[in-house]
Amino acid sequence: MRRDPRDGFWRSSAAGRGLDRRLLAAWAALALAVGSPAACGAQSPGGGEAALRAGRYEEAIEALASRARSGGDVLARRGLVRALMEVGRYEEAEREARRFVAEDSTSPELANALGEVLYLRGKREEAEAAFRRAAGRGRDGLRAELNLAILRFERGERDSALAAFDRFIDVYNESDRPLTSEELTAVATAVRYLGAEDPQLFKDALRAYDEAIAADPGNLEARVLLGELFLEKYNGADARATFEEALKLNPNHPRALLGLARALDFANERGAVEQVEKALAVNPNLVPARVFLARLRLAGEEYAEAEAEVERALEVNPASLEALALLAAIRHLRGDRAGFEALERRALALNPRAADFYNEVAELSVQHRRYREAVEFARRAVALDVRSWRGHGILGINQLRVGAIDAGRASLETAFRGDPYNVWIKNTLDLLDTFSRYRTVRTARFELVIREDEADLLAPYMAELAEEAYDRLAERYGYRPATPIRLEVFPSHADFSVRSVGLTGLGALGVSFGTVLAMDSPSARERGEFNWGSTLWHEVAHAFHLGMTDHRVPRWLTEGLAVHEERRARRGWGQDVSPDFLIAYREGRLPPASRLNNGFVRPSYPEQVIFSYVMASLVVEMIEQERGFPAIAAMLRAYREGRSTEEVLRSVLGTDPESFDRAFDRYLRRRFAGPLAALEGGPSGEFGAELAAGRALLEQGKLDAAAARFERAKSLFPEYAGKDSPYRYLATIYKERGDLRRAAAELEQLTALDESAYDANLELASLLEATGDLAGAARALERVVYIDPFEIPLHTRLAELYSRLGERAKAVRERRAVVALNPVDRAEALYQLARALLEAGDRAAARREVLRALEIAPNYEAAQELLLELTGNAGHSSLIRNGGGAAGRGGAELGTDAGAPLHALALAGAGLAPATGEADARAGTAQPSGSRRNP
Amino acid sequence: MRRGLWGAGALALLLAGSAGPLAGQQSHLLVIGGLGGEPEYSEAFHAWGTALVDAARTRYGLPASNIVYLAERPERDPSRIRARSTRENVEQAFRDLAARAAPGDEVLVVLIGHGSFEAGEARFNLPGRDLTAADFARLLGLLSAQKVAFVNTASASGPFVEALSGRNRVIVAATKTGAERNATRFGRYLVEALTGEGADTDKDGRVSLLEAFEYARREVARSYEAENRLLTEHAVLDDDGDGVGSAEPGRAGSDGSLARTFFLRGGTGEVVLEAADPELRALLERRRSLEARIEALKAERARMDAERYEAELEKLLLELARTNQAIRRQEGSKP
Repeated sequence: MRRDPRDGFWRSSAAGRGLDRRLLAAWAALALAVGSPAACGAQSPGGGEAALRAGRYEEAIEALASRARSGGDVLARRGLVRALMEVGRYEEAEREARRFVAEDSTSPELANALGEVLYLRGKREEAEAAFRRAAGRGRDGLRAELNLAILRFERGERDSALAAFDRFIDVYNESDRPLTSEELTAVATAVRYLGAEDPQLFKDALRAYDEAIAADPGNLEARVLLGELFLEKYNGADARATFEEALKLNPNHPRALLGLARALDFANERGAVEQVEKALAVNPNLVPARVFLARLRLAGEEYAEAEAEVERALEVNPASLEALALLAAIRHLRGDRAGFEALERRALALNPRAADFYNEVAELSVQHRRYREAVEFARRAVALDVRSWRGHGILGINQLRVGAIDAGRASLETAFRGDPYNVWIKNTLDLLDTFSRYRTVRTARFELVIREDEADLLAPYMAELAEEAYDRLAERYGYRPATPIRLEVFPSHADFSVRSVGLTGLGALGVSFGTVLAMDSPSARERGEFNWGSTLWHEVAHAFHLGMTDHRVPRWLTEGLAVHEERRARRGWGQDVSPDFLIAYREGRLPPASRLNNGFVRPSYPEQVIFSYVMASLVVEMIEQERGFPAIAAMLRAYREGRSTEEVLRSVLGTDPESFDRAFDRYLRRRFAGPLAALEGGPSGEFGAELAAGRALLEQGKLDAAAARFERAKSLFPEYAGKDSPYRYLATIYKERGDLRRAAAELEQLTALDESAYDANLELASLLEATGDLAGAARALERVVYIDPFEIPLHTRLAELYSRLGERAKAVRERRAVVALNPVDRAEALYQLARALLEAGDRAAARREVLRALEIAPNYEAAQELLLELTGNAGHSSLIRNGGGAAGRGGAELGTDAGAPLHALALAGAGLAPATGEADARAGTAQPSGSRRNP
Repeated sequence: MRRGLWGAGALALLLAGSAGPLAGQQSHLLVIGGLGGEPEYSEAFHAWGTALVDAARTRYGLPASNIVYLAERPERDPSRIRARSTRENVEQAFRDLAARAAPGDEVLVVLIGHGSFEAGEARFNLPGRDLTAADFARLLGLLSAQKVAFVNTASASGPFVEALSGRNRVIVAATKTGAERNATRFGRYLVEALTGEGADTDKDGRVSLLEAFEYARREVARSYEAENRLLTEHAVLDDDGDGVGSAEPGRAGSDGSLARTFFLRGGTGEVVLEAADPELRALLERRRSLEARIEALKAERARMDAERYEAELEKLLLELARTNQAIRRQEGSKP
């Protein structure tokens, strides 16, 4: 609606108003921080410079040092300093630079070079003095001016810094000579800072970088800064391409390697750690690389390792705000308030307007599912700097995650006005626009937010299941999360993905932010792809674990517990143990139990995340079996106290990580001894061979022989419920033989393992109904509802079964489902609902529904007869059988009100009431996520 | 289930007032099956065509002489298929129909197959030379004295609406434009509406063309949704002669009024518009009055308090129910 279509930061759209008044800007990409790139202007690189550009650093340093020693070659000296800086030999670079400046105190190039190395070591006052000596003079005069402006900006002197950056536009527009590549790079970077004031200027920066590269294709600094600009503006694809182009010229360029690592991380692809480690191998003192690596460690909840990295960064540059922020975040996440505050003071002393300090801590809090705290940090960020669009964005996104929908939207609108390239924010705002088409249905403990056209169908089932989950989990854990719990249900997976992470493409099915949950509607996926019931249960379970631990539960445990709770909720729910999982485990492709978090946050292959869910659930299963549920509750309490996994293992389970790992290994190998043995040799192992033989015999029509093979396969791996499960074949064979009971028994076993077995459950229902087991048939169809509730015949069939079983309330629920599906023959559906209601003893509701039927078809004879019956006007015997004792209960559950208008009746069945507006912002218990992966 | 088909149907016809058929009117059905192209489609088209002509005979009571089925391969079912659906045979069928149908008769033409749209010309694909929309317009000109419903269930059939639209005609196309070229599902559901249960949404015991259209349109959409596929066909209906099809006919100010009164029916003079029995006539008159009041009340719903609306509706519906009971008793069709 009101969003500018500028939803991407692409080179092709750089319609820019030209550099003739405004350029671009950016938030934190300093020419200074780039290190000293090897660009030397458009002139041909001399001895040493070529090697430097190509990343042959030792050769470059040797050649440049030789030239520098042989006389007053300023370019060689500057080049030497830059080469030393590029490989992280900062101390040596500073020493050489000081010596060169002492020998030639008039050289602005050497003064600027000294300033840059001083800056990298955090010696800002000295750096500033050096830049002042260089500013406006010589070939690096413009660069020195830029460096001075950046220093001011980083001290929080925004206005004077912006004025200085603004002058670069004049430099560009009014220069009477072509600017050199390095000058264009400086102009681009200055304009990038100005973009915070006018986002259109980012396009000008892009243009200037492009011009810089065109002027000197070997200018790696321009390429790296351009790549960082793309990343900063959320254009991962161009960023990656730009870094890769730079690395073609210099495969060892530390900053380009770091850029590539970031681009990979941005795209959620593997390899980020490897790339950043390459960067650090070239330059062990590259502070942004250390900080980035620390962030990756922290994402894996490896606090000690992250802290070690960031401490190393601060040893190099004690004034690095990003390092200080990361360390402060670690302190905060570990519960070290004093430590956090000390770092906070230190950061603010460096820059009293350091909004990004808080933004960084806020983002890292989000990474650890501490959404409520993220909101508070982001608030501090925007309080310090009202133009911190990043801060407004973090604030808004996380306000939404804690259920403050209106406030979140307002924050995001502010953020988007300042940074219209942020695709997360644009996507989220667009999604929020669609919320007007959603209905909020309130139950005792939940707010269900469901799109209008699905609400009548889904709300009753979801309400019933969510309330059951709450009750059962509350009883088990002895804990009751704050209510209402908001559950948003998205018919579009893309919308769910945007709600979860701001972008499309998330592989998860559900997400829990604590007391705000989101999930795919069953309509968001192909039938049989997932079970919405188990997903809902999973996310509600997260709400418990997050709440109990104040969002400190590690990912592996909350996921393991959630899958474990699924299995306890219904037979068949929860990811099953597949051959691939067992083979991966046996081959050592899963982390040990004590380090299972890595399988979730840093998977080394695509399936590892799914396998990690399964393994985590088995770890939990082992703990509960061997130590009892109190041990799990105690673990959660220990995490709440801020203990690490190792500490929890020692203090609660009385073990150490290695022993714990061995114990789990023994457990798994014992529990799955048969399947593990049968899978030896992979597909050609005993299990695979039996299956293959069975299939071959089946194709030949040799049913008995095939059945024997499948029975053998089943005995080898009874947990296997894949597409070619022996249960499926055996059911087919037994049905073919006319042994319906045995066929049903096979499908019973299959559906007890596979939560998404749509066809198998339908078939099972038919078999059970044929053999007279109506209750069993109904149970099978109930399972189908959790897989795909959108088929009218399913509900009609269930309604008839329940009617025959005398389960009046359920029959009513199913008739309501038929009406909710808006059948063509709506009058008939309403009439059947009325009949069911009457059977359930709810005459008032029955009367209203039959009126709705007759409103559509006034001369519908059967409905007319029913109306006359209901109003005591019938001139003949009742059409309706007495509902008996169940009727009263059904009526009470439905909670219908004789005075309610017709439109309210659809919701009345589950005791639901339409809400009049959006949820308010209280949801005071923001909680961590724990997204459920798509199996 | 079809409760009280005869009674309800007769009642509804009576209620239809001037929209009902005149005594002596007959229905005619011409089904044209096109080229399948692939066995899967040939099978489906034949199955739909067969189901439709069977229902016309057995369910709607059309005399065999009023049913003509042309199809791709007559040899597969000679008892039903009159001839191969070549251009020449189709043209002959129209000429025969024009000669046989009396003025005022109702003629339903159903095209089942594939269509195409190239160089601004929409075609229905037949064995041999195709027939274009303009060709069918010429052929429909032979039926100017009849009430005609022309249903093209093929892909790219949208342009047929503008080409064939006219007074006293219902034109249905499975697609909105000629650009919707994927094989359609509309035919399947239209046939399902006319042959199965569930399309009689007003419970008058019969399926009007409007009801069949609505059923097919919604079931098509549902089938695409169930498969998580984008809807690639958008059926339209035109019956006001303006050449513009409506996706949702039947609403106020939209198409649909003619289609609402278009039924397949057998025999002649099956409906008694006026009863000889004065008591029955009075009851019928009362029912017409109640019907009108119910419709008027529904039109006022948005402006009324919900409770008041419901109370008044219930009162009228009860009165209508009692009246119908009395009519049935009077007719002796039900105690």
